[in-house]
Amino acid sequence: AAACEVTLRSSDTHPEGYPTVVAVQKMGEMLEERTGGKLCIEVFHSAQLGQEKDTIEQTQFGVIDMNRVSLGPFNNIIEETQVPSLPFIFRSTDHMHRVMDGPVGQQILDAFSDHDLVGLAFYDGGSRSFYNSQRPIRSIEDLAGMKFRVMQSDIFVDMVSALGANATPMPYGEVYSSIQTGVIDGAENNWPSYDSSGHFEVAQYYTLNQHLIVPEVLVMSKTSFDKLSAEEQDIVRQAARDSVPVMRDLWQEREKVSEQRVRDAGVEIITDIDKTPFIEAMVPVYQKYVTSPKLQQMVADIQATE
Amino acid sequence: MELYVLFGTFTFLLLIGTPVAFCLGVSSFATIAYLGLPPVVVFQRLNSGVSVFALMAIPFFIYAGDLMVRGDIARRLVALAGGFVGHLRGGLGQVNVLSSVMFGGVSGSAAADASAVGGLMVPQMKERGYDTDYAVNITVVSSIIALLLPPSHNMIIYSIAAGGRISIADLFTAGIIPGFLLAGLLMVAAWGMAVRKGYPTQPFQGVRMLGTLFVSAAPGLILVAIIFGGVRSGVFTASESSNIAVVYALLVTFFVYRSLSWHDFIEATFAAVRTTAMVLMVIGCAAAFGWLLAYTRVPASMVALLQGVSDNPIIILLLLNLVLLILGTFMDMSPLIVITTPIFLPVATAFGVDPVHFGVILILNLGIGLCTPPVGAVLFVGCAVGRIPVWDAVRTIWPFYGAALVTLMLVTYIPALSLWLPSLFK
Amino acid sequence: MKTIALLTGRLARVALWVAGIGLVLMTVLIAAQVFWRYVLNDSIIWTEPASVMIMGWFIFLGAAVGIREGYHLSFDVLLYVVPQRIKLVLHSISDLAVAGFGVGMIWYGWQLAEKTAGNKLPGLGISGAFDFAPIVAGGVLIVLFSTERIARRAAGLPTARFGEEAEID
Ligand code: NA
Ligand code: NA
Repeated sequence: AAACEVTLRSSDTHPEGYPTVVAVQKMGEMLEERTGGKLCIEVFHSAQLGQEKDTIEQTQFGVIDMNRVSLGPFNNIIEETQVPSLPFIFRSTDHMHRVMDGPVGQQILDAFSDHDLVGLAFYDGGSRSFYNSQRPIRSIEDLAGMKFRVMQSDIFVDMVSALGANATPMPYGEVYSSIQTGVIDGAENNWPSYDSSGHFEVAQYYTLNQHLIVPEVLVMSKTSFDKLSAEEQDIVRQAARDSVPVMRDLWQEREKVSEQRVRDAGVEIITDIDKTPFIEAMVPVYQKYVTSPKLQQMVADIQATE
Repeated sequence: MELYVLFGTFTFLLLIGTPVAFCLGVSSFATIAYLGLPPVVVFQRLNSGVSVFALMAIPFFIYAGDLMVRGDIARRLVALAGGFVGHLRGGLGQVNVLSSVMFGGVSGSAAADASAVGGLMVPQMKERGYDTDYAVNITVVSSIIALLLPPSHNMIIYSIAAGGRISIADLFTAGIIPGFLLAGLLMVAAWGMAVRKGYPTQPFQGVRMLGTLFVSAAPGLILVAIIFGGVRSGVFTASESSNIAVVYALLVTFFVYRSLSWHDFIEATFAAVRTTAMVLMVIGCAAAFGWLLAYTRVPASMVALLQGVSDNPIIILLLLNLVLLILGTFMDMSPLIVITTPIFLPVATAFGVDPVHFGVILILNLGIGLCTPPVGAVLFVGCAVGRIPVWDAVRTIWPFYGAALVTLMLVTYIPALSLWLPSLFK
Repeated sequence: MKTIALLTGRLARVALWVAGIGLVLMTVLIAAQVFWRYVLNDSIIWTEPASVMIMGWFIFLGAAVGIREGYHLSFDVLLYVVPQRIKLVLHSISDLAVAGFGVGMIWYGWQLAEKTAGNKLPGLGISGAFDFAPIVAGGVLIVLFSTERIARRAAGLPTARFGEEAEID
């Protein structure tokens, strides 16, 4: 990468070797090849440049060039990003892929341009489900009164409350021991994080209710993007799109490895779950967050997508 | 070139006596301007660097320490330590170490330990014919124990600097055996020095007296039980325990001992605000400094450099320890934790060192740095308490440095000393 | 100069009181959080962001008062070996650098506040601009107190040295 004329700095909070990090590095190789060694990418992984909220601002200010982030931190900035962050909005990962690859996905990517950013592509963030140390959750009634750690985000807190449980925001580093000692009963996350955090060691009931299937997004700073020629801009956009299948393959592989490791550890996995009551409980949450006609139309479009 | 601007400005300001926080902040500001990037990022890092929930353990533990010093809890703990080991050879030296174990078990600040234990012990030791330098030296080095024994807000700073994914409870537990090991070796060193200098012994005060002292100090000791029991039984988290320490210290000093006047309370609050603001301002500015280090790829170059030197973990750990010890003699603990963790932790883990184990090495190593000139906050406190020049203390401190260095080597090369205890709770 | 010193002295006292009350308030909030969760089995979700914001206030106000009272950590080796006249010049350079940083806190803190004014803070529901109010307020006091130090020095009055305890009222 040292020989490149322009090295784009890209931030990621995940560690080296994580699917999102590898995918952006692969995109960098494509760029280098397609621009004859003019452009390449260096990924600053492991949150070296800050947490997501901070690196988003840095990308907006043009301090860093690219950023792989969750949609969560955008929810209070760009209203379109709230829609894919709604609980149970997608029926499955495949449904999410079809929506984000289609017109709704493009509409959300376009919305970034009002905020000094260029939306390049959507990556997978897995599907999040509840795990806990107390009992197998098979129905919504089983959740009643349990304390779950969630990220500090209004929509997550409201979702957990609507399900009849207690949302308890706390730093990620304290979750393991807090489940172990009983400060909280559980948390919610995807297979890879459930595995890598070691939370499966202390919370041995994992219910695949898949309340959130939120994609992640790769954005570029508008300042950096505008410095490129029109031809280079196209190459960047195309390389980002081409990195998506790479990322999806890596993600699936990663999910399988984690799932196997967790299963081998003897965790009880609950799959036979009727999602209907969960979805019905989300009505007030949708009423609170899906307020404008634009968002209502987006929700309808997603639900109409096959 | 940008690194010359960063380190050049930093060193210049440090040498002309600018507060360390602003040395870090201004040099980052200058470097970002030199790079032609929007300076707003420096102030964003400053703000986010201190907007971290787990950092609240710092003001709370410092506040609890100030309340315990002003509200008589610390004095009673020292009296109890005297009952236990006062009759050994060089008795008051042993009492000093044991006091640090007791006070360190309820406080995480080495400076608070040195001022609390030193303030009580050094005058007594002088009166009984101990040399002032001996009294100051044992006070200073034994306060490292407070950093290792839980609670330790520096462990929390480390966990945050490492990205918040290292269990704080594991770090707390990991420091226990190293803390007692250091206490043991220091007691041996204190005994050896006392024999050589022919310091007096005093008679054992008797079991009945010990009982009285125990009852008097019990509310302080119960805090240890409350913190441990509360965290282990799930009433509160490790970082919330800092808050419980404050509430408990307030309850005991206001209602049980009735030793804390309204005026003491306000003074303790202001003292905690002053110390906390100073420490956290350093942490915030170090976040800006650390961002520039990452942006200019210093950590990556450091890993490559050390990998070029050797691929033997033993040698790498020795090198890391050496660099940390040198840095520790020049800079204070909390900024060093936030600056060095993102650089050194990847190196250590690349060589197979557990992050919890590395945390203990880091804290112990930088703790030794607190006791060495030119920038040794604890050494300064100790010398201020004993009213002797830093140079007089340092001339005879070597046996105690020796005990600390032996502990550091044992902790570095025997991972089980740190990792065995946390593994029991898995 | 004496009147100004009296005024800044009052201001520093007020800032210290605000910071102290903040620390006590934060103690109460977190204790309530533990009590609600453990005893009442219900979680308060706004105590975490609220106490982080209070912490911002007492850090930046406390850091500013530290400039006036001289309780920041510093390193004085070079200052022992240079003559008094140069020492005063170096002190003023140092105060200027701190004041410059204070200007940055105001200017860029304001810029950040403007940029995030439209966002809502999770858990609190207030504007994102409030996140940066402490840094701007702290910046104002830092500029004020550093300028006062330079002015006092020019007028031949004493200033508190960092790392020493000094009464300067
Ligand atoms: Na401690
Ligand atoms: Na001691």
